[in-house]
Amino acid sequence: MTSSITETAVANLDATKNKTRVRPKSLKRTLLMWLLFLPLVFVVIVPIIYMVSMAFTLESNQLNFPIEWIPQPPTLSNFTHIFADTTLPIVRWFANSLIVSIVGTLFIVFLSTLSGYAFARLEFPFKNLLFSLLIFSLMIPAAITLIPVFLLLRDFTLLNTYQAIWLPAAASVLGIFLMRQHFYAIPAEIEDAARIDGAGRFRIYWQICLPMVRGSMVAIFIFSFLLLWNDLFWPLIVLSERSMLTLPVGLLVIQQGSYIQRGLAFAGAFIASVPVLIFYAIFQRKIIAGIVTTGMAGQ
Amino acid sequence: MTTYRASMDDKVRPVSANRKRLRKQLPNYLFVIPHYLFFAVFLLYPIFRGIQISLYDWKIMLQDQKFIGLANYQALTKDMIFRETLGNTVYFTVLTVGINVVLALLVATALKQNFRGSHFLRVLFYAPAILSVSVLGIIGIRIWDTQLGIVNYFLTTLLGLPRISWLGNPSLVIPSLALTTVWWTFGFPMLVFLAGLQSIPEALYEAAKIDGAGRLQTFRHITIPLIMPTMLFVVVTQFISHMQVFAQPYIITAGGPGNASRTAVMYLYETAWKFFRFGYASAISVVLAGIMIIVTIFLFSVLRSRVEY
Repeated sequence: MTSSITETAVANLDATKNKTRVRPKSLKRTLLMWLLFLPLVFVVIVPIIYMVSMAFTLESNQLNFPIEWIPQPPTLSNFTHIFADTTLPIVRWFANSLIVSIVGTLFIVFLSTLSGYAFARLEFPFKNLLFSLLIFSLMIPAAITLIPVFLLLRDFTLLNTYQAIWLPAAASVLGIFLMRQHFYAIPAEIEDAARIDGAGRFRIYWQICLPMVRGSMVAIFIFSFLLLWNDLFWPLIVLSERSMLTLPVGLLVIQQGSYIQRGLAFAGAFIASVPVLIFYAIFQRKIIAGIVTTGMAGQ
Repeated sequence: MTTYRASMDDKVRPVSANRKRLRKQLPNYLFVIPHYLFFAVFLLYPIFRGIQISLYDWKIMLQDQKFIGLANYQALTKDMIFRETLGNTVYFTVLTVGINVVLALLVATALKQNFRGSHFLRVLFYAPAILSVSVLGIIGIRIWDTQLGIVNYFLTTLLGLPRISWLGNPSLVIPSLALTTVWWTFGFPMLVFLAGLQSIPEALYEAAKIDGAGRLQTFRHITIPLIMPTMLFVVVTQFISHMQVFAQPYIITAGGPGNASRTAVMYLYETAWKFFRFGYASAISVVLAGIMIIVTIFLFSVLRSRVEY
């Protein structure tokens, strides 16, 4: 029941677009709604504008009050400082973040399709037990696994490596529920036809079924990538070598540096968030649909 | 007939046929084993291992750990800092989840209306959630700063009010952090509510209109009951994620003033990775997990009973 709610709900997220053409929007309502939303728009936008503005403000002007929303003069010095400082290898951090996020995400997507397919379409002993364990793990808060996983990685001498991030990430179960739902939706006749043509189970999975759930794969990719890219807590625990840090941990190093470097912190925040925000602005429809479908898969 | 499909008839078969079926099914394990290896090592085993470690006086450098039974838990019951951090966490969670749910539902209800720019607003309101919590922290420090902060800037210049020490005041620090978190996270519940609202059949609203129901009545008697399954999902997931709050206080206030904004997971982090008391930290995590599971079950039973299908 819940799965059907999720699906129709997500389909509906885009449906407004079509409705618009049928029923013209009234100008009065548009004005009223914008007036209503103006305070919220203001609250959402101002901190982001502030971050951008401070990133281009001289270190010596960082403490000016009242706030200079447009930097006087605008400067790139925070950026040149950050790139020149070898103790703050922000390019390396950016690359680290990109590597662990992409590798982790590819593992999650691939493993979710494999397992999701098996739990939806295949039969094998103890299938229900194995699936129940996945559901069980969803109910256990992550806090309890932190220390054991940390000790495990230490014993494998994997602290301060990329594996320390993506290995635990690959255990993620959320994608499996989504993939399972969507594999269920594929009509059995399609598989039967392929089987009669002599296709084996791996070929049916790879060549017939996988292309039909491409949308869900994109959804899981987006969801997992953002989760890994933005995560602070786990990298903070398992990464301590400066050259291995991910961007969110690196930002803390800049921000909590031995000398005050407010401008640098904002420049770092700018570097960490603006590419993601631009990416979000371009692919917003896909990203929002991906986040809602995947986020609700546990329902 | 092929036997590895899920739609098998479950008639009793002779032993040889069973064995044959099993042999045909065995390769299916190849689909689940890759993920299950990761799952077993990094999720399932650690859950039980965490409980086990909590029974030891676990020191990171030792070869042989000392078993102390429930001593860690006994110490926890007398640990005033733990009690304080737990209280802070619950306070923070109630505020954040409460504001998030109300705000998200109101915004979603309004955005469901069809007007020019409603899609743009949806995209805009989710945008903060795209930011890393580190970025949130860097901005958050300056939002609430007493001398230079954005909030005090508007209070003093626009409203002519005196400056408020948001993060220095023990009774304001948690609400400030909660509001920061709402700014960052309310987009997701909003999108989920929006999806839930749009799955309510339009015919119901039209029927109510014909019957002469006002806007508030419609909201109260149609929207609220039909949104309950979504509400349950949102409240439970929000509760679970905000009970484990760490980064916002860690970056913005470092737990201060005093312990006024130290949270349970912060205390867990410091116990384990500052003082290397892994056994005690594990006990903290088990108690926290236990509380969360109990409350989740409670939420399910309370909200389920109000769900009308």
